[in-house]
Amino acid sequence: MSGAAQRDPIGWLALPAVAYLGLVYALPLVFLLARSVTGPEGFTLQLFGQFFADPYSWRVIWNTLRIALLTTLVCLLIGFPVAIAMARAKGLMQVALLVAIILPLSIGVVVKAFAWQIVLRRDGVVSQFLVGTGIWSEPQRLLFTETGLVMGAANVFLPFMILPIYSVVKLIDPRLSEAGATLGASPLYRFRRIFLPLTLPGLVSGIAFVFSMSVSMFVIPSLLIGDRFQMLATLTGRSFLLMRNEALGSTTAVVLLVLAVSIVVASSWLAKRLGGSQ
Amino acid sequence: MAVFNRNGIDRRSLLASLGVSGALVAAPSVLRAQTREIVVGGAASHKPWVEAHVAPLFERKYNAKLTFEGTRSLVNLEKMQKNKDRPYLSVVQMDDPVMILAVKEQLLEPITAAKASNLAKLKPGTVHMEGQWANYLQPWQGIAYNTNVIKTPPASWAEAYDPKYKGRIIIPSLQNTEGLPNLFMASHLATGKPMAEATRDTESGFKKLISLKPNLLTVYNQMPQAFSLLEQGEAHMIVGALSSFALARRQDGAPIALAAPKEGIFPVPSGIAVVKGGPNQDLAFAYVNELLGAEVQAKIAPPTFALPTNVDVPPPPGMPTGVAVHTIDWAFVADNRNDWVKRWDREMSM
Repeated sequence: MSGAAQRDPIGWLALPAVAYLGLVYALPLVFLLARSVTGPEGFTLQLFGQFFADPYSWRVIWNTLRIALLTTLVCLLIGFPVAIAMARAKGLMQVALLVAIILPLSIGVVVKAFAWQIVLRRDGVVSQFLVGTGIWSEPQRLLFTETGLVMGAANVFLPFMILPIYSVVKLIDPRLSEAGATLGASPLYRFRRIFLPLTLPGLVSGIAFVFSMSVSMFVIPSLLIGDRFQMLATLTGRSFLLMRNEALGSTTAVVLLVLAVSIVVASSWLAKRLGGSQ
Repeated sequence: MAVFNRNGIDRRSLLASLGVSGALVAAPSVLRAQTREIVVGGAASHKPWVEAHVAPLFERKYNAKLTFEGTRSLVNLEKMQKNKDRPYLSVVQMDDPVMILAVKEQLLEPITAAKASNLAKLKPGTVHMEGQWANYLQPWQGIAYNTNVIKTPPASWAEAYDPKYKGRIIIPSLQNTEGLPNLFMASHLATGKPMAEATRDTESGFKKLISLKPNLLTVYNQMPQAFSLLEQGEAHMIVGALSSFALARRQDGAPIALAAPKEGIFPVPSGIAVVKGGPNQDLAFAYVNELLGAEVQAKIAPPTFALPTNVDVPPPPGMPTGVAVHTIDWAFVADNRNDWVKRWDREMSM
C-alpha cells in the first residue's frame, strides 16, 4: 500500500474553514503587510523607520504594553482563586459559578464599556464604596483614567483567564496534595511545590489569552479613557478611519500584530516547557 | 380550473398555477425594480431629521427611494475615495473642510442653477468653489452646560479655564470639525488679537489650550457620549458644542443649555454635494435642490437649531442675537489641519 493511500482523508474537513480564514483573514493580512513595506519606489522599511524614530510612537507602545500587563495582572490575581474554587466546587455550586463566568460573555463589549462609564462616575458605585469605606475622603474621578480603563478591561477579559486555569485545575488529582500532607508538607509548601507547577500550563494559556486581547483592545479604551490616551489598536483605527493615513495605520497594525504573535508564540513555548504537552 | 383530476394532478393546470403563483411572488420585486434609489451619505446625527422631514417628501415627489447612511464626514470621504471607479453614494452631506478635500481629489460633480434652481436663492458665501458644494444650513457653536450645576450661563469662553472646573470640561477632538474653534478662541484669549488674526496664530492657541488640560474630563470623537456625560453631571461644560445637537437634547428634556459667550460664536456650515459619477444623477440633483429649497429648509431649520441659507426662510426662533459670528477660513484649515492634529495628539494627551 502506498504512503498516499494511508493518509487519513479526514483532514479535508478543515478545508472550508481554511478557505474562509484565508479569504477573510490571511489575504487582508498580506495586503496590510505589503502596504507597510511599500513606498513610492517599491519595497522599503522607511515607514517603520519613521514610526520608531518618533518618540510619540514609543509612548504609544509603552501605553499599550503597560495597560495590557496591568490588565493581565488584575485578571490573574482575581481569576486564579476563582478558577480553583470553581474546579473544587461540587454540584449546583459549580454550575452556578460556571454560569456566572460564562453568561457575561454573551454581553457585548460595547454594552459593558458603557456600563462601566456609569459605574466609574464620581457618583458611581465604585466611588461611593471607596468613600463609604473611608479609603477616599471624597469622590474622585475614575472615568477616563488608567485605573478605570484597567478595571473595565479586566472585567471584560476575566473569563478568558478563569476558564483555561479551571480546565487544568479540574484535571489535577487532589490525592497528590493529600499525599504531600501525609508526608508532613505544610499547606503553603504543597501549594508552591505540588499544586502551582501543575497549574502552570493553564496559567500560561490564560495569561496569553488575556494579554493578547488586552494589547489589541479597541472599543474599551475608546469608551473608557478616550482620545487623549492612545494605544496601538486605537492609533491604528484612528489612522485608517480619521486621519486617512494608510501608511501609519498599516505600520502600527503590523507592530501590534508582531507584539501579539510574539506573546502567543512565547506562551506556547513556555507552556510546553512547563509540561503543557503532557 | 381543476388542478386535481381522477388521475392525480393535471399537468397543465399545475404549470398554470405555478406560473400565476410565481408572478404573484415576483410582483413586488418587479415593482421595486421600477423605483429608483439614491444613497445619501451624511452625519449620523442628521438621520432623524432626514428620515422625518426630507425622505418622505422626496420619495413622494420623485417616486424614488432614499437611503441615508449616517456616519462621519471623513468616513464618507473615505467611501467616496475607495469607490471612486464605481460610486454607490449619490449625494454627500459633509462639513466644509472635508468638502475641500473631496474637491482636491475630484470626487464631486458641480451643482449648477440649471440642475438645481434653488442655488440662485442662497445667501452670499454659501456656494463654494464654483458650485462644487453648497451650504443648506448653518448650525452654530457655543458652550453647552449642565443647568443643574451651572446656574448662570457661561459669559466667556475663558470660563472653561477656571480651576473650579477641574476634570469637568469636555472639548471636541481636533479630528472633528467642531474642534477647531477651541484652537482659534484659545489664541484669541491668549493674545487678545481680533479673531481674524488670532485664527492665524495657532502657536499661541496651542500654548493656551495646554493650560486647559487639568480641567479636561475628556476629548470626544463621538458627540452622543460627550452629551451623555454632560447630562449625567459628570461633565459640567462641553466647550464648542453644536446647536443642532445640544438644543435638540434640551428640547427632549435634558438638563442642558447652550450659551453664546461674549467673544462670539462660530457657524459650522453644513454642506451638500453630488458625488461624481454616482447613481441616478438626476435624482441626486433633485435631492440637493430640495435641501436648498425654502420648503425643506423651513422644516429642518427649527429642529436642527440652525440658520437657513435660503433667503426666503427666516431664522427660526431662539437663535442668539447681538453676538459676533466668526466665520472660519476652511481653506486655511484644510492646508494646516494634519499638522495641527499631529501636534494636538502629542500635546493634549494624558
